Amino acid sequence: MKINKLFVALVVVAYAVVPFALGSNNYVMSMIVAALIIGGVALSWALLGNLGGMVSFGHSAFFGVGAYVSAITTVKLGVPVLVAVPLGGIGAVLASIVMMPVLRLRGPYFALAILAYAHIFRILATEWSSVTGGSGGVAGIPGFPILFGFDFGTKMGAYLIALTLVVLFALAYHRIRGSYYGIALRAMHDSEDATRVVGVNSTLLKGLMLMVSAFMAGVFGAVNAHYINFLEPDYAFNALWVTLPIVAAIFGGYRTISGPVIGALVVYLADQLVFKSIMPTGHQLVLGVLLVAMIVFSPSGLMSLLRKRAVPHA
Amino acid sequence: MTELILQALYSGLLQGGSYALIALGLALVFGTMKVINLAHGELVLLAAYIAYAVESGLGLGPVFAIPIALVVVCIAAVSVYFVVSRIKKDREINSLILTYGIGVILTNVILLVWHADVRSTSSTWLQEAFVVGPLYSMRSELLFFGVSIALMGALWWWLARSWYGRAVRAVSSNRDAAKLMGIDPGRTELVSFIVAGILAAFAGVALFSYGVIQPAYGGALTVKAFIITVLAGVGSIPGVLLGAVLLGVAEALTVTLASSALQELAGMTLFLLVLFVMPNGLFGAARRRG
Repeated sequence: MKINKLFVALVVVAYAVVPFALGSNNYVMSMIVAALIIGGVALSWALLGNLGGMVSFGHSAFFGVGAYVSAITTVKLGVPVLVAVPLGGIGAVLASIVMMPVLRLRGPYFALAILAYAHIFRILATEWSSVTGGSGGVAGIPGFPILFGFDFGTKMGAYLIALTLVVLFALAYHRIRGSYYGIALRAMHDSEDATRVVGVNSTLLKGLMLMVSAFMAGVFGAVNAHYINFLEPDYAFNALWVTLPIVAAIFGGYRTISGPVIGALVVYLADQLVFKSIMPTGHQLVLGVLLVAMIVFSPSGLMSLLRKRAVPHA
Repeated sequence: MTELILQALYSGLLQGGSYALIALGLALVFGTMKVINLAHGELVLLAAYIAYAVESGLGLGPVFAIPIALVVVCIAAVSVYFVVSRIKKDREINSLILTYGIGVILTNVILLVWHADVRSTSSTWLQEAFVVGPLYSMRSELLFFGVSIALMGALWWWLARSWYGRAVRAVSSNRDAAKLMGIDPGRTELVSFIVAGILAAFAGVALFSYGVIQPAYGGALTVKAFIITVLAGVGSIPGVLLGAVLLGVAEALTVTLASSALQELAGMTLFLLVLFVMPNGLFGAARRRG
């Protein structure tokens, strides 16, 4: 399996150049951390869409559950942050197991059912106040600890953690895509029935992809919780945690691995630095327009549009 | 206690009228185009805000907003159709993402024009109580329940008797066969979008007349409409009405017996139950499972 040269170059730049070039600018760094977290969710969304063939409008559920599990285990049970973050991912996996029955549904029915689930989790987080703190939220969530003499509680620390997780998940995605499962999933894409006939348990595979995707989104939800140190249901389960990743993944190309992450960086930074200053309320309008324009003109992402321009005979 | 429950049943029934209109619009478009319009709830909400604008700007009752709402929502619905029909590849996935994007656009347009505040009608005539025996409702609730029933009757007649209504049913059940019979599927899809827009316009004005609206409500409306189509199974107008009333009653009972915060949860629970126990819906035999 060959790993893209572009990917290696990007990783090197991200680790070696960005911290030194922008590390002193706290404002820009905080934007980049937020963009990476969205990029992580976008990656998990694209994994489900590309390998599983499923469109999810419910990733805010995984994100929120991951955030809450990690926050509550640290605040109430005193679990160390670095243990709680994967626990957040596992919490999101449990949430996805609850969703498994919707795998029986196809296409639009699946997409809407998972949207309905996202609503349920949000209501639960608001109403189950003895555990979640209700609509008041959870305050004082511990930040990342000091390790090897480096304070991961800083913006730079959060950057390195988010970046490392994005890279690890991208590599995991790459491995899954190249594995036997990945091939079976790609075959399912053309004809699920035909793939079942040759002995692939398609429902099991889709379920696995849903769990992997949920784990990734949950971990990023947890990272975000320890990064901003505060949670409330309307924030943790906000529809923005699914809108932004979808726009990012579609913009960058959801059939690629680096596309969603690059898309998240471009879309989120443009949204926060440009559109938000032009129109403080309703700047998500631009995200909607971008999404519609991408689907109509270049559904496979901006990268493929550029490639098409470069090679006219392709 | 019995009175409270009776009252909840009654309120739920009345609420079911507008829910049914919204769900029928969603189902019609899904029938002809096999596309779930995720912006459908936002179209309904757009009509509701037009009613608000007419009331607050011109001082007229929400009912007078219906003509304007019809025009604006139908134009919006037709625009959605033209954008969706441009999709060539992976229509199922792409149309979902596309209409989701249109929903985001509409929500933010509403937010920009009318701001994030919660709005409701200030018409005292509409809010006045109408009492039938032990049961209470606002005039507006009863009025728009009547309007919904009349519209559903008209829709039934249209689907059963008119040329385009039959074309819609033909394209829904077998697109290729309908084409062979000389029906233009593209135009039929457009017609189904317009009819969905008409139903959405009425439902939106109704929502504003007896309830509260806010910009983020559109998504919840789409989910409700979807839940109803799952409850009803695909197919009949009476089925959708029953599903809508069931959802309305479940919500009203939850508010009465538990808390208003759990209202949405009631619909979801009902939805999941039906999905587990009777995946083809309560009244339908359509195939949804993979």
